[in-house]
Amino acid sequence: MRAFLFFLTLVVGAAVGLGLTWVTTVSGYGPGMIRSGPWEAWPKAGTEEADPYARAALARAGELPLELADGLAFVATKDDDGTALDGRCDIRLSGTLPQARFWTLTVTDSRGRLIDNAAGRTGFTSAEVVWNRDGTLDIELGPRARAGNWLPTGARERIELTLRLYDTPVGLASRTSDAPEMPSLVTQHCPWSKT
Amino acid sequence: MTRLVLPIVAGLVLGGIVHLVAVLILPYYAEQDAYARLSAIGSVNAVAQMDDPSAFGAVLPDTDPAFISAVCLYDLSDGPLKVRVPTSADYTSVSFYTRFGLAFYAINDRSAGRRVIELDLMNPTQKAAMPENADVTAADRLVVESPSDEGIVLIRALVRERSAREAVRAHMSAASCGPAS
Repeated sequence: MRAFLFFLTLVVGAAVGLGLTWVTTVSGYGPGMIRSGPWEAWPKAGTEEADPYARAALARAGELPLELADGLAFVATKDDDGTALDGRCDIRLSGTLPQARFWTLTVTDSRGRLIDNAAGRTGFTSAEVVWNRDGTLDIELGPRARAGNWLPTGARERIELTLRLYDTPVGLASRTSDAPEMPSLVTQHCPWSKT
Repeated sequence: MTRLVLPIVAGLVLGGIVHLVAVLILPYYAEQDAYARLSAIGSVNAVAQMDDPSAFGAVLPDTDPAFISAVCLYDLSDGPLKVRVPTSADYTSVSFYTRFGLAFYAINDRSAGRRVIELDLMNPTQKAAMPENADVTAADRLVVESPSDEGIVLIRALVRERSAREAVRAHMSAASCGPAS
């Protein structure tokens, strides 16, 4: 009986310990997150002060973070209402962007791979995009070609957007309350919804 | 039942310890970390061009597809290195990481303020041993101190419009990374 109880302790310990480690490193880069609307970023992950969770998550994924003096990446997997971004729907990204010398927007599938499409377009750079006259931006995401700044989503069930700001003062924000205003993401129409 | 309470509580505490240890050692035991992935495409103290990310994946996950990327895995145990990167018309950056993927320095074309980003990469001992005469400590010489002997230099250039991709790639192929003298 005592052997069984000792064994139980070890099993619970291993399951809790490794399970917790898996959960905390499989998505996101730990507690140093700042949030602005649906966008999430981990400014500290790209510095020497990266916390152990950020280091572990990056090593596990095999990624190198953007060094903060280089730029900062914001990731969105949900729209403003908290609905997961669905590549079969028409989604609009609109609004203003934080100050940066350049930015790039990339659309990927849920595993971070680019989406193949006939237009050969996997994102926009700040130099390619067509701006509105008042300095705001509208980008249309969807499976079918649309007028304006269209980004094909290949009708993937789940998509991820990454907005990378280069040479930006935004990186100085270390708390959500200092986070810059980011563009909104609105799911406009899905093929299964009426009208 | 009450006999099970103690082992479960002890198990939870043990789980917490296992978790903390696992998170702390993970960077040192991850087999497919960035350094391992980059070792597959390049050798030490030389610049290797990275293939553009595609729908099948990328050399490093989550690489920005709007950039041309190259990498230099370095080892300073035989002496300091010189890194030279020609800047493109748009954004060019050079970022430094330790062997375990910790970012410790980055510079871009504008902060370098020149047509060519030229850096001396050395470990703390080599930096301390640097002679203090005037031409060596000249203000325009950029010295980057690496906390460890081994690490990664990531060289990236933005491609503003897709049509310029091959031109930027050709321009960036002149980047070099090698022994200082």
